[in-house]
Amino acid sequence: MPNFKEKLIHYQYLIRNIRDFFYSHNVVEVVTSSLLVSPTTDVYIDSIEVSVNHALSKSSKFYLHTSPELEMKRLLSRGSGDIFQICQVFRDNEHGRINSNEFTMLEYYRVGFDMHQLIDEIKELLITLGKDDAIKKISYAQVFSDIAKIDILNSDFEDLKNILESHGLNSDYEYIEDMQMVLFVHLIEPKLKTIPVCFIYDFPKQQAALAQIDGLVAHRFEMYIKGTEIANGYQEIQTSKEYRDRFEIELDKRKSLSKSIGSLDEDFLDDLEDGLPPCSGVAIGIDRLFTSLSL
Amino acid sequence: MNYSTSQFKNGLKLMLDGNPCSIVNNEIVKPGKGQAFNRVKFKDLITGKTLEKTFKSGESLEAADVMELEMQYLYSDGEKWHFMDPASFEQFDLGEESMGAALNYLVEQDNCIVTLWNNNPISVSPPNHVTLEVIDTDPGLKGDTAGTGGKPATLNTGVVVQVPLFVAIGDRVKVDTRTNEYTGRA
Repeated sequence: MPNFKEKLIHYQYLIRNIRDFFYSHNVVEVVTSSLLVSPTTDVYIDSIEVSVNHALSKSSKFYLHTSPELEMKRLLSRGSGDIFQICQVFRDNEHGRINSNEFTMLEYYRVGFDMHQLIDEIKELLITLGKDDAIKKISYAQVFSDIAKIDILNSDFEDLKNILESHGLNSDYEYIEDMQMVLFVHLIEPKLKTIPVCFIYDFPKQQAALAQIDGLVAHRFEMYIKGTEIANGYQEIQTSKEYRDRFEIELDKRKSLSKSIGSLDEDFLDDLEDGLPPCSGVAIGIDRLFTSLSL
Repeated sequence: MNYSTSQFKNGLKLMLDGNPCSIVNNEIVKPGKGQAFNRVKFKDLITGKTLEKTFKSGESLEAADVMELEMQYLYSDGEKWHFMDPASFEQFDLGEESMGAALNYLVEQDNCIVTLWNNNPISVSPPNHVTLEVIDTDPGLKGDTAGTGGKPATLNTGVVVQVPLFVAIGDRVKVDTRTNEYTGRA
């Protein structure tokens, strides 16, 4: 068990190795604002609201970023090319052993990469960081079929309700994606604990978030290290209209769940008027990665 | 009375599918893009089986009226095993199917933990360490006091335990009931 100072030095090496990796790949380090005018629209992530004084007795509400995603996409839309950022992010209403209201995120974007090319590069990054165990890559549909014999992409709302009930689980869900997720948490995730590194890609389209949809799937992926979710990435949607549509779907869902709703970030949508270049991006939880590297 | 997922902790007794269960492990899982869930491992206090369930955070389950009381084992009439709460002198009995591993270790007058559900006994846990008498074992090698080898010995409850070669019929031995291992002579 390394002592406290050794641990700090290990952490320093991790951050330095990540920076070296990106510098050598000509990915530019950026810093974006963490104080935003609009809260996240993400259904199950809540922004922390802060009050900021501009002048005496003149204050307004801001929101701490839950991820630097949109601010970095503004840079991409302005021609930044490949970029990365390591920063603190903030989320309200988080609890649990491996969840926190503040954590360190590595977010990076690769122009011209599709999802599979980005996954390949993350594998290369992991190997650089000393994680050279066997790395598995499997589609969301395949992992459900292999482990649970469920055809997840072709199971409709009623099918999933029946599957939940057959496992003795509550089937009182309003959205099909929530049922897909509870089945993933209940049946699949525990089996990933024996796999050193596992990429799962092509999520059902209902869980697209901001990833490109292609038929029944969205080009979104997650990386699990011994069953813990460490990273989430997309082959990114590109047009302002697509972003507006996805945000509105999320806001509608927040509304139906009686969650707080903020205004859309119109400045972001304006900046994206000319669209993003074709690109893929990923967010990696550095605290969890650090813990998993010493496992 | 109900407990919500935020109150879940190890050892909490809850009703699940009509049976009283105890939480063995409670893990909060919050997918990056999803709602929080509790992935919970339970032990069914009647069947002894382990089961796993996943709940939406915020769901709740009915509390199970389960009490664990230290009682004295009185006797068995062959069909039922009889126990007494030394505080109230109230007596309880259990059938063989509820006795489980306790059958292997309990001798009359021993204290043990009896689990009551709605005031009915459902299971018995023997003490972690019991002292029992050897009623049958092969003669050991004289002088083998180092205990280098081992041999089976039948104890007065009928349970068979590996003992060192020097242990003889009539000896009283200590046994760890969780592992069924000999820990020494009494």
